[in-house]
Order: sequence, then structure tokens, then C-alpha cells
Amino acid sequence: MSTIDLILGPQHPAFKEPERFLFKTEGEIVVDVEPRLGYVHRGIEKAFEMRNYIQGLYLAERICGICNVAHTLCYAQAAEEVYGVEVPPRARYLRAVIHELNRIHSHLLIIGVAAELIGFDTLFMLIWRDREIVMDLVEMMTGNRVISAYITIGGVRRDVSPEFIEKAKKMLTKLEERVKYYRKVWIEDPIIRARCVEVGKLSKADAIKLCAVGPTARGSGVNYDVRRHRPYAAYDEIPFNVVLREEGDVWARVLCRIDETLEAINIVKYALDHLPSGDIRVKVPIRPPPGEGVAFVEAPRGELLHHVYSDGTDKPYRWRVRTPTYANIPAVCHMFKGCYIADIPAILVSIDPCFSCTDRVTILDIRTNERKILTWTQLKKMFREFRRPKA
Amino acid sequence: MVHLVEVESEVAEYLRTKLGDKLFGVATPKKLRVVVRVSSDAVKSCIRAIQEKFGDVHLTTITGCDLGEELELTYHLHLYANNVHIMVKTKVPKSEPKIDTITDVIPGAVLYEREVYEMLGIQFIGHPKLERLFLPDDWPEGIYPLRKDWRPEGLK
Repeated sequence: MSTIDLILGPQHPAFKEPERFLFKTEGEIVVDVEPRLGYVHRGIEKAFEMRNYIQGLYLAERICGICNVAHTLCYAQAAEEVYGVEVPPRARYLRAVIHELNRIHSHLLIIGVAAELIGFDTLFMLIWRDREIVMDLVEMMTGNRVISAYITIGGVRRDVSPEFIEKAKKMLTKLEERVKYYRKVWIEDPIIRARCVEVGKLSKADAIKLCAVGPTARGSGVNYDVRRHRPYAAYDEIPFNVVLREEGDVWARVLCRIDETLEAINIVKYALDHLPSGDIRVKVPIRPPPGEGVAFVEAPRGELLHHVYSDGTDKPYRWRVRTPTYANIPAVCHMFKGCYIADIPAILVSIDPCFSCTDRVTILDIRTNERKILTWTQLKKMFREFRRPKA
Repeated sequence: MVHLVEVESEVAEYLRTKLGDKLFGVATPKKLRVVVRVSSDAVKSCIRAIQEKFGDVHLTTITGCDLGEELELTYHLHLYANNVHIMVKTKVPKSEPKIDTITDVIPGAVLYEREVYEMLGIQFIGHPKLERLFLPDDWPEGIYPLRKDWRPEGLK
């Protein structure tokens, strides 16, 4: 059978962010896939080198709006290693609280989107309605719904009041009930099972070989969670379970996130109950000593790394960021092979993709059957020529 | 749980005996971290040696950094067996930036090597498809944005 190229993206109803995938298909079956990354590549690593450490914190927060806390936390930890400062115990607990609230909102977001993409719109709307509980909590705690600007180098920027703690626990209990119900729906609903079980399989061996991270790897039984295996913040003192599933399909990866949401609710409750007293931050000078700092964080999508080189000036010499979705691209390309075209959105959403990466257009000339890719400069030139009045 | 300090010195000691004069230095700067400096032709054998002894290895990423005359590569490895984070560091001269690919020992390195190639201009010998990854199609040849001699236009 001859292969047909099927291009999905950069703009496609099933993708929430711009990314292009070229699928080689035989009939209904995908035989190969070629991703094109970089549509929203903003050169942030270079931009870090032109800002001082505090300015960089706000830039790090804008790498990804959804998991902004994971980025500021990882940034702050890498910087703290260079500065050589210890964070006060209360700040370590508050960091765990905001980090888990961020995870709950991110997981609920993607579980909802997963339901929508398999055609279960009611579930999507219900989950997103209940996600507002955690958005309100984040607003009460930090003053903002999404970009929280809560974590800073040396600690956190706001303290929590006893009233907040009481209210938060009540709201989280309500959310817990709702999430338990969604777990039941996800396990029992025959339509969800028909669309997700045995779809987009990733074996444990492949997950390790392709260096998958986060719930994508844990859904295939890879026991790796930075919070447990290289603890940071207050995770060495808070009891929690690492959620593992052996199935390795779309269903298991989403269920992994539902269970992690329940774990996260318990972590927040425990941390709020055992909050140590004391300062919430230590101040750091503008210039750190020369050195190197590496920090790992378990972001909602998986292991996140920030790696900094300091030369003793007020600006970092080099700042390296490795986001979890980037690590999961080889794994998701592997999952696509052998799948049905109709399953592409479900498989893509199961890694919880977050594409943060310059524009171009593919033009297909139907008369000559020629396909070419235009660069942004060419497109602008074409536009100017088009606008120029004819003589 | 295994005592942490022992795990790090075990890794450090093993690499010392295994790599010989290809090894420039080993350090254990903090809990669960080992920093290894090796010559650029020994990166692959270093990773192979780690896999033989400690089993499955997870490559977090490859960091490339322009140090002036040389380009430094840091391979961040995580050992599933004992949770140690190993930083394998090596340097290649800017005049001849070449190094062997590690995609045959860790297939997950494919995209990271392509990124280091487009951003810093290091050739990975034996890479299955060494092409650009993130940069736009009209980006000029031979310009590597993360090198220190390149600065974005219009900025002070």
C-alpha cells in the first residue's frame, strides 16, 4: 500500500498549542511520524544571560503559564545552590503547598482536555468547573490565579494566615470527593475504556530507553519521581505515595494523573497541618559567588531541570532549562507508530503536551502538486507585494 | 534505604578504576550527586561502564556551554538503581567541535544532541539525523545563537 503524508498542525483543533506533526499513513494506520518543534521557541536561555538573577525569576515563571510554580521553584533552587543559602523550614513547607496546588490545577486541566478529546464534553466541563476550587485557593494564597510570583530566591514572598489554612482544608475536602467521583467514572465508563485502553502503548523498556519522564513514564511502571528519589522542598518530611501503573496506555497515564491529584490533596493538607513557624525567606545579595547550580523538580508533566553557570557577576553566565514535554517527544513519537489516525489526539494529550517554542506556512500548489514551506520573511514579502497597488 | 554517602563514593570509586587516564577528576559536591570530568573520546565508554554496573540510566539532558576557547558539555544522568545524579563533563575545542554521538547507547539523546548542534555548533559523529530542531528555516548557516560571540540584534 502506498504511504500518504498527513500533516497535523501547527494549528489544529486537537492541539492546544502550535506544533506540527507529519504522519506517514497507510490506510488508517500511522507508520511513521516526524515532529517539527520550535513554533514558539523564544530564545529564553539566551535571554537569561542578559538579566540579573531576580529578573530571571520572572522570566522563568513565563516559560510555561500552567506549571509556572515548578519553573520558579526549580529556578530558585538552582540559584540557591550557587548562592549557598538554606531556605527556612516554613518556606520549604509553603513551597510544597503551592507546588502541589499547581499540580492539582494542571492535572485537572489535562484530565478535562483528555475527556474532551475523546468526545466526552460533559466530563470536561464538570472537571473544569471543579478546577475553579483550586484556582480560587491559589488566588487566596498568592494574590493571582495563574502566574503566582510566589517563590523567590531564598524562600517565598507571602505567608499564609490560620484562616486560610482552615478554609483551604474545607475546600480541598470538597475537591477530593469530586476527584474520587471522576476516578470512578474514568475506571468504569465503557466509552472511556473503549477509547483509551490499549491505545498508545509504551512499554517500560521503551520508556526507559527513550528517557520518558513524569506520569508518561510512571504510567508504564517506571518508578521515578524526583519528589521521592531526590527530595527537595519539604518532600523528605511529608508522607506520600508514588503512583505507578503497569498498563502503559492512554487510560493508565490519565488514571495516574487522577491518583496523583488525590495524593497532592493529601500532601497539601498534611503540609498545612504541620507548618513550622519562623521566617519565610532569607535575603540574598545581587551577586552570587562563581560556581554551578543544578536543580531538579517534579513538575506536573515530569522531571524538570534548571542548570546555571555563575561567573560571579550579577547575571548568569549560562542558564539551561530542560522541560518535561521536550523529554517526552521521542516517547510520544514511538506511541504514534501503529496507531489509528483517530487515536492521534488521545495519544498526544496523554503525555500532557506543553509546547513552548517561530512561524512558517506550508503552501500546497494543487496545479503542480508542489509543496513548499515559507519562512516568516518570505511570507511578509508576499504580503507586502500583495498589498502594493497594481500599476 | 542505603546510606547516601556510600552510594556516591561507590560510583566515584568505580569510575576511577574503570576509566583510568581518560578521567580528569571526580567530585561529590552534595548528597546524591557525582561530577565526573572525562576526555571527549571517553564519554561513551563512561556511560557504557555506568550501564554495565548500575543498570538502566535515564539521560535528563545535555547542557552545552561556551567557555571561550572551549565548549563544555554536561551529560546529566540519573541512575534508577540508587538515585544518584551523575554529571559527566567534557570539553571540546571551538576550533574543532566534534564528539561521538551517544544515541547508540541512549536512544533518548536524539533531540538533545540536535539542540546542542544547532545552538552551539557541535558535530555529533554518528548521529542518525543531525538537523536543526527549534531554529527557524531561514536562520543563517554557521550562526550558533548560544555561543558568546552572538548577540541578538537591537539589544544593548
